[in-house]
Amino acid sequence: MSFVQAKDLTREYDLSDPFIVRTIAMRPKRILTAVDNVSFSIEKGTTYALVGESGSGKSTIAKMAVGLLKPTSGSLLVDGKNLNDPFLPKEEKLALRRRIQMVFQSPYASLNPRWKVGDIIAEPIKAFRLINDHASQINRVHELLEQVGLSTSDVNKFPHEFSGGQRQRISIARALSSEPEIIICDEPTSALDVSVQAQVLNLLKSLQKEYSLTYLFITHDLAVVSTMANKIGVLNQGKLVEEQTPENLFSNPKKAYTKMLLNSAPNINF
Amino acid sequence: MDDNLLEVRNISVTFKNRYGTLKALDNLSLNVKKGEILGLVGESGAGKSMTGAAILGLIDPPGHMSSGEIWYKGKCINDAHEAIRGREISMIFQDPLMSLNPLRRIGDQLLETILTHMNVTKSEAIKRARKGLEEVGIDPNRLNSYPHTFSGGMRQRVVIALALAPEPSLIIADEPTTALDVSVQAQILDLLKNLCKERGTSIILVTHDMGVIAQTTDRVGVLYAGRLAEIGDTREVLTNPKHPYTKGLVDSTPRIDANSFYKELYQISGTMPKLDAMPNGCAFHPRCEFAIDKCSKETPQVFSDRAACWLLENEAIVE
Repeated sequence: MSFVQAKDLTREYDLSDPFIVRTIAMRPKRILTAVDNVSFSIEKGTTYALVGESGSGKSTIAKMAVGLLKPTSGSLLVDGKNLNDPFLPKEEKLALRRRIQMVFQSPYASLNPRWKVGDIIAEPIKAFRLINDHASQINRVHELLEQVGLSTSDVNKFPHEFSGGQRQRISIARALSSEPEIIICDEPTSALDVSVQAQVLNLLKSLQKEYSLTYLFITHDLAVVSTMANKIGVLNQGKLVEEQTPENLFSNPKKAYTKMLLNSAPNINF
Repeated sequence: MDDNLLEVRNISVTFKNRYGTLKALDNLSLNVKKGEILGLVGESGAGKSMTGAAILGLIDPPGHMSSGEIWYKGKCINDAHEAIRGREISMIFQDPLMSLNPLRRIGDQLLETILTHMNVTKSEAIKRARKGLEEVGIDPNRLNSYPHTFSGGMRQRVVIALALAPEPSLIIADEPTTALDVSVQAQILDLLKNLCKERGTSIILVTHDMGVIAQTTDRVGVLYAGRLAEIGDTREVLTNPKHPYTKGLVDSTPRIDANSFYKELYQISGTMPKLDAMPNGCAFHPRCEFAIDKCSKETPQVFSDRAACWLLENEAIVE
């Protein structure tokens, strides 16, 4: 069985009017299906990319994978365990949470501006009680900062003192601090410049090699996907329309929607 | 040089703060020919948007243009921005949500633009507004709709209709598609390109996306830390870059082709210098692999109308 397995994952949002208004006006319920019966699986140590336009349900899947949203139906299993299983013991749930981390899209919005970088990175370590004495916690934070290419003197700075790329490195250090096995990257580079984007993507790649991390990589940029992913899933309006390896997807797209996406992606090749 | 619609000659934009003066643009020169699309590319903070603002005279205080001249159709427009802005040179902003008034129907906004800049009657203006909407692919009957009823792509089409309404000779498009999806982006860029080709309108396209530059522009200027690093024919610059910074930018852009799968991207180490900590000499030399002694001492000028890099100095003499 694969490391991560999504089975018939569905998420619906209820956009209906309040019950009384609906009854008086005799209007039916309005349900938006953001993610519609999506199934995929990710092998350990590989990168699975979900691509699609805005509104295709990419981020909803990411949120369900980390447990920020509950699926309406279907399940997402990590190492055979379901985060939303009501019968999962509390300790196991916590242990599972530790193994799944997330890097968000905007490094400007995802770091608390009132916290020092050291505290931001140490929070998961404290929350999961991984290291209990203060001195070792600080050592671990220093180690993480060096891993992502920042300096140890940065612990006492605030997020506003860093550029976008450096902030995204802080986000990555925070995600790594709980020693996760799978990291969900929700458009980690779309707010960054190309040269910085290359730095961050290379960092993610080298970390993957070092710790055999599994990535669920969410993006709208097909060029980024082509350098990162082992397998690509194309989403359109909540449905998984095509799933391919990058070689096949770019040379031989099966669905019209994928072809349209590929044709409209700005490419630097002439 | 008669085919130059716009010439920017050695402009500098400076900001004063309590610690001293910062140069956001430093001795920048470029020109736009009639009917061409000039791309301006660079990282954030390189001065791309500032160039557009300087041309239109829209620099907010405490910043101001401290030196240089802007020539438009053979006239210096340093003190005549207001006559030119909107009518002769119009602007498309990044976020279509922010550039339309949410309280007014798009028809009113189009009419206002047309009536302000052109000497026409109201019924003629309405006719033009309908035609304008039709050209950008929107049903003219939607003149009475409010901006919130349009999607992001449609709003950007409305903004393009607004920019084209006074029949300008030059449009400055500041990241017009950054907020949009790739498929919509392709439509909008095609639309902009075709409409401008039909009318012979020139465009300055400001973007940070090398892919957009490759597919839309005729010529491209690469900016770094407020200075021009390289300028030239787009295909020539992207396939055979002369400046090490351009080369780094091109190599670090992910490509969609068979050679790129699972490969590491080239990366330029470090970040762009802050304006208050600009290095001596060439602004790029601390990050440059090919830097020579001279790079850290003197600021290079643009050699052979192409790139500002000391490595080209001898080559320029040979030519």
